[in-house]
Amino acid sequence: MQLLTVTEFMKYAPFFGCMISVKYPQMEASVRKTMANLGMELVDLQGFSCCPDPIYFKATDKLTWMTLAARNITIAEEAGLDLVTMCSGCTATLSEANFHLKHDPELKEKVNQRLKKIGKEYKGTVSVRHIVTVLRDDLGIEKVKASVKKPLNLKVAIHYGCHLLKPSEIMRVDDPDHPTILERLFEAAGAETVKHEKQVLCCGKACTHEEIPEKMTFDVLSSIKKSGADFMGLICPTCFDEFDLGQINLSRKFSVDLKVPIIYYFQYLGLSQGLSPEDVGLHLHKTKADEMLKKIS
Amino acid sequence: MKPVNFKFRHKLNTIIGGEAHNFCYQCGACVGDCPAALYSPAFNPRNILLMALLGDEESLVGPDSVIWDCTNCNTCYERCPQAVRPVEVIIALKNISFGKGTNPPGVKSILDSVKETGRTVKTSSLSDRRRKELGLKEISIVPLEELKKLLE
Repeated sequence: MQLLTVTEFMKYAPFFGCMISVKYPQMEASVRKTMANLGMELVDLQGFSCCPDPIYFKATDKLTWMTLAARNITIAEEAGLDLVTMCSGCTATLSEANFHLKHDPELKEKVNQRLKKIGKEYKGTVSVRHIVTVLRDDLGIEKVKASVKKPLNLKVAIHYGCHLLKPSEIMRVDDPDHPTILERLFEAAGAETVKHEKQVLCCGKACTHEEIPEKMTFDVLSSIKKSGADFMGLICPTCFDEFDLGQINLSRKFSVDLKVPIIYYFQYLGLSQGLSPEDVGLHLHKTKADEMLKKIS
Repeated sequence: MKPVNFKFRHKLNTIIGGEAHNFCYQCGACVGDCPAALYSPAFNPRNILLMALLGDEESLVGPDSVIWDCTNCNTCYERCPQAVRPVEVIIALKNISFGKGTNPPGVKSILDSVKETGRTVKTSSLSDRRRKELGLKEISIVPLEELKKLLE
Protein backbone atom coordinates (compact mmCIF):
# COMPACT_ATOMS: atom_id res chain seq x y z
CA MET A 1 0.00 0.00 0.00
CA GLN A 2 1.30 3.38 -0.94
CA LEU A 3 1.23 5.95 1.85
CA LEU A 4 -0.21 9.32 1.06
CA THR A 5 2.23 12.16 1.32
CA VAL A 6 1.54 14.89 3.85
CA THR A 7 0.43 17.40 1.22
CA GLU A 8 -2.21 15.04 -0.10
CA PHE A 9 -3.94 15.20 3.28
CA MET A 10 -3.82 18.96 3.40
CA LYS A 11 -7.03 20.01 1.77
CA TYR A 12 -9.29 22.45 3.55
CA ALA A 13 -12.48 24.31 2.84
CA PRO A 14 -11.75 27.99 3.49
CA PHE A 15 -14.39 30.15 5.17
CA PHE A 16 -13.45 33.78 4.61
CA GLY A 17 -16.58 35.40 6.04
CA CYS A 18 -18.00 38.88 5.40
CA MET A 19 -15.39 41.21 6.90
CA ILE A 20 -12.51 39.65 4.98
CA SER A 21 -14.23 38.98 1.64
CA VAL A 22 -15.90 42.37 1.39
CA LYS A 23 -14.15 44.89 3.60
CA TYR A 24 -10.60 43.58 3.81
CA PRO A 25 -9.98 41.47 0.68
CA GLN A 26 -6.25 42.10 1.13
CA MET A 27 -6.46 39.51 3.92
CA GLU A 28 -8.04 36.95 1.61
CA ALA A 29 -5.45 37.69 -1.08
CA SER A 30 -2.55 37.26 1.35
CA VAL A 31 -3.96 33.99 2.72
CA ARG A 32 -4.44 32.55 -0.79
CA LYS A 33 -1.01 33.63 -2.00
CA THR A 34 0.91 32.41 1.05
CA MET A 35 -1.00 29.11 1.24
CA ALA A 36 -0.10 28.44 -2.38
CA ASN A 37 3.55 29.03 -1.49
CA LEU A 38 3.19 26.54 1.38
CA GLY A 39 1.64 23.90 -0.88
CA MET A 40 -1.65 23.85 0.99
CA GLU A 41 -4.81 23.40 -1.01
CA LEU A 42 -7.87 25.52 -0.32
CA VAL A 43 -10.96 23.97 -1.91
CA ASP A 44 -13.59 26.69 -2.40
CA LEU A 45 -17.10 25.52 -1.65
CA GLN A 46 -20.24 27.33 -2.77
CA GLY A 47 -23.22 28.51 -0.74
CA PHE A 48 -21.80 29.95 2.49
CA SER A 49 -23.56 32.86 4.17
CA CYS A 50 -22.39 35.09 7.03
CA CYS A 51 -21.10 32.77 9.79
CA PRO A 52 -23.31 34.53 11.37
CA ASP A 53 -21.74 37.29 13.44
CA PRO A 54 -21.11 36.18 17.06
CA ILE A 55 -21.89 39.57 18.60
CA TYR A 56 -24.94 41.28 17.14
CA PHE A 57 -26.55 38.45 15.19
CA LYS A 58 -26.10 36.12 18.16
CA ALA A 59 -27.71 38.83 20.32
CA THR A 60 -30.97 38.56 18.35
CA ASP A 61 -31.67 34.83 18.83
CA LYS A 62 -29.14 32.14 19.73
CA LEU A 63 -31.09 29.30 18.16
CA THR A 64 -31.32 31.05 14.78
CA TRP A 65 -27.64 31.97 15.06
CA MET A 66 -26.80 28.34 15.68
CA THR A 67 -29.03 27.16 12.81
CA LEU A 68 -27.35 29.43 10.27
CA ALA A 69 -23.93 28.35 11.54
CA ALA A 70 -24.99 24.70 11.24
CA ARG A 71 -26.11 25.33 7.68
CA ASN A 72 -22.63 26.60 6.81
CA ILE A 73 -21.04 23.56 8.48
CA THR A 74 -23.24 21.14 6.49
CA ILE A 75 -21.71 22.51 3.27
CA ALA A 76 -18.27 21.38 4.48
CA GLU A 77 -19.73 18.08 5.71
CA GLU A 78 -21.17 17.35 2.28
CA ALA A 79 -17.70 17.91 0.78
CA GLY A 80 -15.99 15.90 3.53
CA LEU A 81 -13.56 18.71 4.33
CA ASP A 82 -12.65 20.52 7.52
CA LEU A 83 -13.56 24.19 7.64
CA VAL A 84 -10.68 26.60 7.98
CA THR A 85 -11.46 30.11 9.21
CA MET A 86 -9.36 33.25 8.82
CA CYS A 87 -11.43 35.57 11.02
CA SER A 88 -11.68 35.15 14.77
CA GLY A 89 -15.38 36.03 14.67
CA CYS A 90 -16.20 33.30 12.15
CA THR A 91 -13.98 30.98 14.18
CA ALA A 92 -15.98 31.76 17.31
CA THR A 93 -19.39 31.21 15.72
CA LEU A 94 -18.58 28.07 13.77
CA SER A 95 -16.49 26.45 16.54
CA GLU A 96 -19.05 27.18 19.24
CA ALA A 97 -21.94 25.93 17.14
CA ASN A 98 -20.02 22.81 16.12
CA PHE A 99 -19.05 22.11 19.75
CA HIS A 100 -22.56 22.52 21.18
CA LEU A 101 -24.21 20.58 18.37
CA LYS A 102 -21.73 17.72 18.82
CA HIS A 103 -22.29 17.63 22.60
CA ASP A 104 -26.01 18.30 22.92
CA PRO A 105 -28.27 15.83 21.04
CA GLU A 106 -31.43 17.73 22.00
CA LEU A 107 -30.07 20.96 20.53
CA LYS A 108 -28.91 19.10 17.44
CA GLU A 109 -32.43 17.74 16.98
CA LYS A 110 -33.93 21.23 17.28
CA VAL A 111 -31.49 22.68 14.75
CA ASN A 112 -31.99 19.76 12.35
CA GLN A 113 -35.77 20.25 12.52
CA ARG A 114 -35.16 23.74 11.16
CA LEU A 115 -32.58 22.64 8.60
CA LYS A 116 -35.09 20.12 7.22
CA LYS A 117 -36.91 23.06 5.63
CA ILE A 118 -34.01 23.45 3.20
CA GLY A 119 -33.22 19.75 2.91
CA LYS A 120 -30.07 19.84 5.01
CA GLU A 121 -28.93 17.89 8.05
CA TYR A 122 -26.12 18.67 10.47
CA LYS A 123 -24.19 15.47 11.24
CA GLY A 124 -21.15 16.57 13.22
CA THR A 125 -18.51 15.04 10.96
CA VAL A 126 -16.06 17.90 10.41
CA SER A 127 -13.88 20.19 12.50
CA VAL A 128 -13.65 23.97 12.44
CA ARG A 129 -10.18 25.43 12.82
CA HIS A 130 -8.56 28.83 12.69
CA ILE A 131 -5.94 28.74 9.95
CA VAL A 132 -3.08 29.55 12.34
CA THR A 133 -3.66 26.21 14.08
CA VAL A 134 -3.42 24.46 10.70
CA LEU A 135 -0.01 26.07 10.15
CA ARG A 136 1.22 25.09 13.60
CA ASP A 137 -0.29 21.62 13.91
CA ASP A 138 -0.70 20.20 10.40
CA LEU A 139 1.96 21.89 8.32
CA GLY A 140 4.43 22.60 11.11
CA ILE A 141 6.34 25.73 12.09
CA GLU A 142 9.49 24.51 10.29
CA LYS A 143 7.72 24.44 6.93
CA VAL A 144 6.50 27.99 7.47
CA LYS A 145 10.09 28.97 8.21
CA ALA A 146 11.34 27.18 5.09
CA SER A 147 8.95 29.22 2.91
CA VAL A 148 10.61 32.51 3.92
CA LYS A 149 12.82 33.97 1.19
CA LYS A 150 13.99 37.11 2.97
CA PRO A 151 13.61 37.48 6.72
CA LEU A 152 12.61 41.09 7.29
CA ASN A 153 13.68 41.18 10.93
CA LEU A 154 11.03 43.73 11.85
CA LYS A 155 9.82 44.00 15.42
CA VAL A 156 6.24 42.87 15.98
CA ALA A 157 4.03 43.46 19.01
CA ILE A 158 1.24 40.92 18.93
CA HIS A 159 -2.42 41.52 19.63
CA TYR A 160 -4.05 38.15 20.23
CA GLY A 161 -7.73 39.08 20.24
CA CYS A 162 -10.20 37.11 22.34
CA HIS A 163 -11.97 34.64 20.12
CA LEU A 164 -8.98 32.68 18.87
CA LEU A 165 -8.33 31.53 22.45
CA LYS A 166 -11.51 31.71 24.48
CA PRO A 167 -13.53 29.80 25.61
CA SER A 168 -10.51 27.50 25.81
CA GLU A 169 -12.64 24.38 26.46
CA ILE A 170 -14.13 24.90 23.00
CA MET A 171 -11.24 26.49 21.11
CA ARG A 172 -8.44 24.24 22.45
CA VAL A 173 -5.85 26.37 20.67
CA ASP A 174 -3.46 27.49 23.37
CA ASP A 175 -3.06 28.61 26.99
CA PRO A 176 -5.66 31.43 27.01
CA ASP A 177 -3.67 33.60 29.42
CA HIS A 178 -0.14 32.92 28.17
CA PRO A 179 -0.49 31.99 24.51
CA THR A 180 2.52 31.41 22.23
CA ILE A 181 1.06 30.41 18.88
CA LEU A 182 1.32 33.83 17.22
CA GLU A 183 4.83 34.49 18.56
CA ARG A 184 5.96 31.20 17.07
CA LEU A 185 4.38 31.95 13.72
CA PHE A 186 5.69 35.52 13.48
CA GLU A 187 9.17 34.33 14.46
CA ALA A 188 8.97 31.59 11.83
CA ALA A 189 8.14 34.32 9.30
CA GLY A 190 11.33 36.11 10.30
CA ALA A 191 10.01 38.75 12.71
CA GLU A 192 11.36 39.60 16.12
CA THR A 193 8.60 39.53 18.73
CA VAL A 194 8.53 42.12 21.50
CA LYS A 195 6.35 41.85 24.59
CA HIS A 196 3.95 44.59 25.53
CA GLU A 197 1.76 45.12 28.58
CA LYS A 198 -1.64 44.81 26.92
CA GLN A 199 -0.93 41.71 24.84
CA VAL A 200 -4.14 39.86 25.77
CA LEU A 201 -6.45 42.85 26.31
CA CYS A 202 -9.65 42.87 24.28
CA CYS A 203 -10.05 45.42 21.43
CA GLY A 204 -13.45 46.38 22.85
CA LYS A 205 -15.20 46.45 19.47
CA ALA A 206 -18.31 44.69 20.77
CA CYS A 207 -19.27 47.37 23.34
CA THR A 208 -22.13 49.62 22.42
CA HIS A 209 -20.85 52.78 24.11
CA GLU A 210 -17.84 53.92 22.18
CA GLU A 211 -15.93 55.38 25.16
CA ILE A 212 -15.02 51.87 26.32
CA PRO A 213 -13.42 50.60 23.09
CA GLU A 214 -11.80 53.98 22.57
CA LYS A 215 -9.98 53.75 25.87
CA MET A 216 -9.04 50.10 25.30
CA THR A 217 -7.77 50.78 21.80
CA PHE A 218 -5.79 53.74 23.02
CA ASP A 219 -4.21 51.72 25.83
CA VAL A 220 -3.31 48.79 23.57
CA LEU A 221 -1.76 51.07 20.94
CA SER A 222 0.12 53.10 23.56
CA SER A 223 1.43 49.88 25.07
CA ILE A 224 2.71 48.85 21.63
CA LYS A 225 4.21 52.26 20.98
CA LYS A 226 6.11 51.96 24.27
CA SER A 227 7.41 48.50 23.34
CA GLY A 228 9.40 49.88 20.40
CA ALA A 229 7.73 47.55 17.90
CA ASP A 230 7.56 48.45 14.21
CA PHE A 231 3.99 47.21 13.89
CA MET A 232 1.09 45.40 15.52
CA GLY A 233 0.57 41.84 14.28
CA LEU A 234 -2.85 40.20 14.50
CA ILE A 235 -5.15 37.62 12.93
CA CYS A 236 -8.64 39.08 13.31
CA PRO A 237 -10.35 41.53 10.90
CA THR A 238 -12.60 42.94 13.64
CA CYS A 239 -9.63 43.81 15.84
CA PHE A 240 -7.99 45.18 12.67
CA ASP A 241 -10.98 47.45 12.10
CA GLU A 242 -10.76 48.75 15.64
CA PHE A 243 -7.01 49.44 15.47
CA ASP A 244 -6.46 50.53 11.85
CA LEU A 245 -9.44 52.78 11.21
CA GLY A 246 -10.02 53.30 14.95
CA GLN A 247 -6.55 54.73 15.30
CA ILE A 248 -7.31 57.49 12.78
CA ASN A 249 -10.49 58.39 14.67
CA LEU A 250 -8.58 58.44 17.96
CA SER A 251 -5.88 60.70 16.53
CA ARG A 252 -8.52 63.18 15.37
CA LYS A 253 -10.54 63.09 18.56
CA PHE A 254 -7.70 63.34 21.07
CA SER A 255 -4.97 64.96 18.97
CA VAL A 256 -2.57 62.08 19.55
CA ASP A 257 -0.21 60.70 16.98
CA LEU A 258 -0.07 56.93 17.38
CA LYS A 259 0.94 55.73 13.90
CA VAL A 260 1.16 52.03 14.64
CA PRO A 261 0.81 50.01 11.40
CA ILE A 262 -1.56 47.06 11.81
CA ILE A 263 -0.56 43.95 9.87
CA TYR A 264 -2.50 40.71 9.43
CA TYR A 265 -0.25 37.68 9.89
CA PHE A 266 -0.52 36.45 6.31
CA GLN A 267 0.43 39.87 4.95
CA TYR A 268 3.68 39.71 6.88
CA LEU A 269 4.28 36.11 5.85
CA GLY A 270 3.66 37.16 2.24
CA LEU A 271 6.24 39.95 2.44
CA SER A 272 8.75 37.46 3.87
CA GLN A 273 7.97 35.04 1.05
CA GLY A 274 8.90 37.76 -1.43
CA LEU A 275 5.50 39.23 -2.26
CA SER A 276 5.30 43.00 -2.69
CA PRO A 277 3.43 45.34 -0.30
CA GLU A 278 0.84 45.82 -3.09
CA ASP A 279 0.44 42.05 -3.54
CA VAL A 280 -0.67 41.80 0.09
CA GLY A 281 -2.67 45.05 -0.07
CA LEU A 282 -0.81 47.15 2.49
CA HIS A 283 -1.72 50.27 0.49
CA LEU A 284 -5.37 49.72 1.44
CA HIS A 285 -4.76 50.27 5.15
CA LYS A 286 -5.87 53.52 6.76
CA THR A 287 -2.78 53.69 8.97
CA LYS A 288 0.06 53.68 6.48
CA ALA A 289 3.01 51.35 6.93
CA ASP A 290 5.49 53.65 5.14
CA GLU A 291 7.98 53.96 8.00
CA MET A 292 8.01 50.22 8.47
CA LEU A 293 8.44 49.57 4.74
CA LYS A 294 11.38 52.00 4.53
CA LYS A 295 13.30 49.68 6.85
CA ILE A 296 12.98 46.77 4.45
CA SER A 297 13.33 48.49 1.10
CA MET B 1 -36.93 45.25 48.59
CA LYS B 2 -38.89 44.00 45.62
CA PRO B 3 -39.82 40.30 45.54
CA VAL B 4 -37.86 38.03 43.20
CA ASN B 5 -39.39 37.98 39.72
CA PHE B 6 -39.42 34.23 39.08
CA LYS B 7 -41.42 34.63 35.89
CA PHE B 8 -38.53 36.48 34.33
CA ARG B 9 -36.03 33.92 35.61
CA HIS B 10 -38.10 31.11 34.11
CA LYS B 11 -38.07 32.90 30.79
CA LEU B 12 -34.27 33.24 31.01
CA ASN B 13 -34.10 29.48 31.68
CA THR B 14 -35.66 28.75 28.30
CA ILE B 15 -32.90 30.44 26.29
CA ILE B 16 -29.68 28.64 25.34
CA GLY B 17 -27.11 29.34 28.08
CA GLY B 18 -29.63 31.27 30.20
CA GLU B 19 -30.42 28.50 32.67
CA ALA B 20 -26.86 28.55 34.08
CA HIS B 21 -27.64 31.84 35.88
CA ASN B 22 -29.21 29.65 38.60
CA PHE B 23 -25.79 28.32 39.60
CA CYS B 24 -24.14 31.68 40.34
CA TYR B 25 -23.07 31.94 43.99
CA GLN B 26 -21.79 35.52 43.62
CA CYS B 27 -18.09 34.80 44.20
CA GLY B 28 -17.02 37.61 41.85
CA ALA B 29 -14.34 35.62 39.97
CA CYS B 30 -15.84 37.01 36.75
CA VAL B 31 -15.06 40.61 37.69
CA GLY B 32 -11.28 40.73 38.19
CA ASP B 33 -10.20 40.26 34.57
CA CYS B 34 -13.34 41.65 32.90
CA PRO B 35 -12.14 44.38 30.50
CA ALA B 36 -15.53 46.12 30.40
CA ALA B 37 -15.55 46.31 34.22
CA LEU B 38 -12.02 47.66 34.15
CA TYR B 39 -12.98 50.45 31.75
CA SER B 40 -16.52 51.18 32.86
CA PRO B 41 -17.55 51.39 36.54
CA ALA B 42 -21.16 50.81 35.48
CA PHE B 43 -20.37 47.35 34.11
CA ASN B 44 -19.99 44.48 36.55
CA PRO B 45 -20.73 40.87 35.50
CA ARG B 46 -21.29 39.74 39.08
CA ASN B 47 -23.86 42.46 39.52
CA ILE B 48 -25.56 41.51 36.26
CA LEU B 49 -25.81 37.92 37.54
CA LEU B 50 -27.23 39.17 40.86
CA MET B 51 -29.87 41.14 38.98
CA ALA B 52 -30.63 37.99 36.97
CA LEU B 53 -31.08 36.02 40.21
CA LEU B 54 -33.44 38.70 41.47
CA GLY B 55 -35.26 38.73 38.15
CA ASP B 56 -34.70 42.45 37.70
CA GLU B 57 -36.28 42.54 34.27
CA GLU B 58 -36.54 46.32 34.04
CA SER B 59 -32.83 46.99 34.56
CA LEU B 60 -31.54 44.04 32.56
CA VAL B 61 -33.65 44.14 29.43
CA GLY B 62 -35.00 47.67 29.47
CA PRO B 63 -33.67 50.41 27.17
CA ASP B 64 -30.02 51.40 27.71
CA SER B 65 -29.23 48.29 29.70
CA VAL B 66 -25.62 47.87 30.75
CA ILE B 67 -25.55 44.37 29.20
CA TRP B 68 -24.74 45.94 25.82
CA ASP B 69 -21.33 47.03 27.08
CA CYS B 70 -20.13 43.44 27.45
CA THR B 71 -17.05 43.03 25.23
CA ASN B 72 -17.90 39.35 24.56
CA CYS B 73 -14.27 38.50 25.34
CA ASN B 74 -15.20 35.22 27.13
CA THR B 75 -12.81 35.83 30.03
CA CYS B 76 -15.63 35.34 32.58
CA TYR B 77 -16.39 32.03 30.85
CA GLU B 78 -12.79 31.02 31.63
CA ARG B 79 -12.83 32.20 35.24
CA CYS B 80 -16.23 31.07 36.55
CA PRO B 81 -15.84 28.08 38.95
CA GLN B 82 -19.54 27.24 38.57
CA ALA B 83 -19.62 27.05 34.77
CA VAL B 84 -22.22 29.82 34.74
CA ARG B 85 -20.56 31.28 31.62
CA PRO B 86 -21.71 34.82 32.46
CA VAL B 87 -21.12 35.99 28.88
CA GLU B 88 -23.64 33.43 27.63
CA VAL B 89 -26.18 34.51 30.28
CA ILE B 90 -25.65 38.09 29.10
CA ILE B 91 -26.24 37.08 25.47
CA ALA B 92 -29.40 35.21 26.55
CA LEU B 93 -30.53 38.47 28.19
CA LYS B 94 -29.76 40.28 24.95
CA ASN B 95 -32.06 37.79 23.16
CA ILE B 96 -34.87 38.76 25.54
CA SER B 97 -34.12 42.45 25.03
CA PHE B 98 -34.23 41.95 21.25
CA GLY B 99 -37.63 40.26 21.61
CA LYS B 100 -38.90 43.34 23.44
CA GLY B 101 -37.32 45.76 20.98
CA THR B 102 -35.13 47.46 23.57
CA ASN B 103 -31.87 46.56 21.80
CA PRO B 104 -29.48 49.16 20.32
CA PRO B 105 -30.36 49.91 16.66
CA GLY B 106 -27.12 48.36 15.36
CA VAL B 107 -28.34 44.88 16.28
CA LYS B 108 -31.40 45.10 14.08
CA SER B 109 -29.41 46.49 11.14
CA ILE B 110 -27.01 43.52 11.27
CA LEU B 111 -29.97 41.11 11.20
CA ASP B 112 -31.55 43.03 8.32
CA SER B 113 -28.30 43.01 6.39
CA VAL B 114 -27.99 39.23 6.74
CA LYS B 115 -31.64 38.80 5.68
CA GLU B 116 -31.23 41.00 2.62
CA THR B 117 -27.75 40.07 1.43
CA GLY B 118 -26.62 37.04 3.45
CA ARG B 119 -23.76 39.12 4.82
CA THR B 120 -23.10 41.61 7.59
CA VAL B 121 -21.04 43.77 5.25
CA LYS B 122 -22.68 44.67 1.95
CA THR B 123 -20.73 44.40 -1.29
CA SER B 124 -20.25 47.50 -3.43
CA SER B 125 -18.59 48.47 -6.70
CA LEU B 126 -15.57 49.50 -4.60
CA SER B 127 -15.30 46.12 -2.88
CA ASP B 128 -15.71 44.32 -6.23
CA ARG B 129 -12.96 46.45 -7.76
CA ARG B 130 -10.62 45.87 -4.85
CA ARG B 131 -11.06 42.12 -5.09
CA LYS B 132 -10.28 42.26 -8.79
CA GLU B 133 -7.16 44.39 -8.27
CA LEU B 134 -5.88 41.89 -5.71
CA GLY B 135 -6.34 39.02 -8.16
CA LEU B 136 -9.33 37.51 -6.36
CA LYS B 137 -12.33 35.84 -7.95
CA GLU B 138 -15.74 37.49 -7.84
CA ILE B 139 -17.40 37.14 -4.48
CA SER B 140 -19.54 33.99 -4.15
CA ILE B 141 -23.32 34.11 -4.20
CA VAL B 142 -25.28 33.48 -1.01
CA PRO B 143 -28.41 31.33 -1.52
CA LEU B 144 -30.83 33.86 -0.04
CA GLU B 145 -33.90 31.65 -0.54
CA GLU B 146 -32.45 29.11 1.89
CA LEU B 147 -31.63 31.80 4.45
CA LYS B 148 -35.11 33.25 4.11
CA LYS B 149 -36.67 29.91 5.02
CA LEU B 150 -34.46 29.61 8.09
CA LEU B 151 -35.08 33.18 9.19
CA GLU B 152 -38.88 33.03 8.91
